[in-house]
Amino acid sequence: MKNHLTEQELIEYQFKLASDIRMKETAEHLQGCGQCRGHLEKLQRKFAALDLLREGAKVSEDLISRVIEQAQGSISDSILKKRFFAALRMTKWAAAAVLLVGLLLLAAQLGKDGTKKREVAKEPMPAVEKMVRASKPEITSAEGLDEDMVEKRTLAMAPMEKRVDRYAAFDETAETAIPEEPPFAPASAIELVVLPRRDKVQLTIYNSADLTLVRERRNLTLKKGWNWLQFMWANTLIDPTSLSLEPLAQADKIDIQQLVFPARLRELGRWLIRSEVSGQVPFEITYFTSGLSWRAFYMGTLSQDEKTMQLQGYVRVGNNSGEDYEKAQIRLIVGKVHILDQIAELAKRQYPYNRPIGRIGGRGGEYGFGIQHGRELDRPEYVDEYFYDRSSSSRLGELRRKEIRKEGLSEYFLYTIEGTETIPDKWGKRLLSLDVEDIEIESLYKYDEQRWGEQTIRFVKFANDDDHNLGETPIPNGTVKIYGQADEQGYLSYVGGTNIKYIPVDEEVELNLGPARLVNVEPKLMDFKTENYRFDRRGNVAGWDEIRTWKIEITNTRELPIEIEITRGFDTAYWTIQTDAAYEKHDATRVRFKVNLEPRKKQAFEYTVTTYHGVREETLAEKN
Amino acid sequence: MENTDKSLIDAHCQGDPAAFSELVRRYGDSILGYLMRMSGNHHQAEDLFQETFKRVHEKAHTFRGGQFKSWLFTIATHVAIDGMRRRRRMRVVSLNQKLDCTDQDSEELSAVALADDSCEPSQEAAKAEQAEQVRDAIESLPARQRATLVLAYYQQLSYPKVAEVLGCSLGTVKTQMYRALRTLAQKLPDV
Repeated sequence: MKNHLTEQELIEYQFKLASDIRMKETAEHLQGCGQCRGHLEKLQRKFAALDLLREGAKVSEDLISRVIEQAQGSISDSILKKRFFAALRMTKWAAAAVLLVGLLLLAAQLGKDGTKKREVAKEPMPAVEKMVRASKPEITSAEGLDEDMVEKRTLAMAPMEKRVDRYAAFDETAETAIPEEPPFAPASAIELVVLPRRDKVQLTIYNSADLTLVRERRNLTLKKGWNWLQFMWANTLIDPTSLSLEPLAQADKIDIQQLVFPARLRELGRWLIRSEVSGQVPFEITYFTSGLSWRAFYMGTLSQDEKTMQLQGYVRVGNNSGEDYEKAQIRLIVGKVHILDQIAELAKRQYPYNRPIGRIGGRGGEYGFGIQHGRELDRPEYVDEYFYDRSSSSRLGELRRKEIRKEGLSEYFLYTIEGTETIPDKWGKRLLSLDVEDIEIESLYKYDEQRWGEQTIRFVKFANDDDHNLGETPIPNGTVKIYGQADEQGYLSYVGGTNIKYIPVDEEVELNLGPARLVNVEPKLMDFKTENYRFDRRGNVAGWDEIRTWKIEITNTRELPIEIEITRGFDTAYWTIQTDAAYEKHDATRVRFKVNLEPRKKQAFEYTVTTYHGVREETLAEKN
Repeated sequence: MENTDKSLIDAHCQGDPAAFSELVRRYGDSILGYLMRMSGNHHQAEDLFQETFKRVHEKAHTFRGGQFKSWLFTIATHVAIDGMRRRRRMRVVSLNQKLDCTDQDSEELSAVALADDSCEPSQEAAKAEQAEQVRDAIESLPARQRATLVLAYYQQLSYPKVAEVLGCSLGTVKTQMYRALRTLAQKLPDV
């Protein structure tokens, strides 16, 4: 026996990789060589492990359906291609002619497509429209093609268009019996009812929750019998559980049977509609969505004497819902709503604004951009012209502010923006909601170490009532920025800003504008002593009095007179005070002094406070 | 009488949706099994499966007769190799169907490995572990060797058919197969 077989020879023998001659030689060798047989058996055992993965896979119905559905989307295209190529296989000359015509058509179609694309780019397409168009193959001009071929193609490609034409008007006379049992599901996407564009859409945006109620009106073309209507919300934040569909006409003849969410198909629902009529029917689709929001912000401009203020309020509507809303009527709800679930988390984003807009004219009157006291200011980039109605015929080119109508709605308040607005996805718009001049204000400074430390805080105070030219509606919460007149030319300077909470009608509001650098309060402890010690039976101190004399110095370096409120706390409810200054007891442990100070003046006052401790507290109680 | 593959593909090209469906059903199990062994991941295999039949649908008009099965496996191989390359580029971590993994795919594949319910639990565990080692060993093979092995051994295609699917010579197939087996001989567990 010659050399033993190598591993390669054994593998090649086992897996029949060797030539026939080599296979025969190896077999003969193995017959006579136990050692090689042993090696082969060892290899066989080794490769037997491969059989652990021999279990076959079973393709699921779900996967098959997905594959078929995926193919169905483009099946019509391939048919078209096939038939086109079949047409080209006609006689030589005919084929050449068809090819020529085809090329001409292709050129025409390319031009048409280009125009379409440009139109689409201009005009945002709602998600629902996207779905409709996706399921509706394009029909190109049929000129120059074989008539039979054109007819077949039209039938294959666009049954919905044909159906729409056929049922252009109500046809109740058609005596087709409607099967009692509804179809299990549409056989294919082309059996779904085509959703036309929205006729009207209304958005009611709740700013207290990430919630918007959308009401869409669409004219749907139904056939007599069972209809499937598909609604897709891919890449939007629509809450599918809130979807509702109602006919606005022929309600007694149309029955919305069910809304199904087919397995495998994500982010779409199909309504099953039983209709006894054929033709166009107006429907209202309502649902909740997230991602639409609005918020208010305000800009106040103080007069030079700081006795009055112009207040401009804005609302900014933002759309991050994933859906474009064209020509939507927008209603904004002020007030808190109770919802069970957050539909989605809002990606709230701060947008730049805070540039005051100059004023022209009187209260609630006309508006202009960028003009203030005859000067032109920089036009803020963020000011959106969509909210200004250019169609006003009052003066050519004049921008007319859209009105925001406000009305009470139960415990909420409803703001309706005049007309309609288009808010594409990821866009925001702002509009002026209020512009009131000559609001009487009180400028007030406050000093309270316990609250703000050793700094004076400036406040502007007014009320949301008739006396202040306000009081028509509550004022929604938002950010307020206050500007002051920096000089006689009308230049503005930033004074301060704060957030305000919802201000009901007839309520007062104090705007905290932050530290005031030009008004200084300096308390100085002038004297401190203790007295009236009391001792218990063991000789320990059981009570005493502390007497402090404070001098408060106030400096007003402003050019305007000021009123300042100084709050002093004693950390105990047992105290007495002696002073010539006017004060009021604010609460058990604090007093407040009010001081009016002329421009560029200093003023000081003193007070002596005695605080009682331990058993001396009882003495004070007995005195009182 | 059962439709032939050719008649089904012709019907599909003529716009008969049922024909395509029939083809998917006819070869679905076989293609999915092949792609699972090629990718080592059920989830990815399903994606590749969809991609394969998408290409079949798109390229159906280019099928010029011959063995539909070979043509189908050629497409599946290209899809699988593309997928593996893509996966390497994207540095996707293979789910790998580890037993301690809670992934649903892994559970499904483990279920395949543990399908023999006559075994004791300890034996089942050992068997699953061995299956895991086999899977790792196959996954370690270069794409061409893996395709050759899976087509020849698991799909039981003859070597000339494998050559047809992979678009190479018979000699190349045999060389690839030998190299794959030589590597596996070092890596496969003893059962």
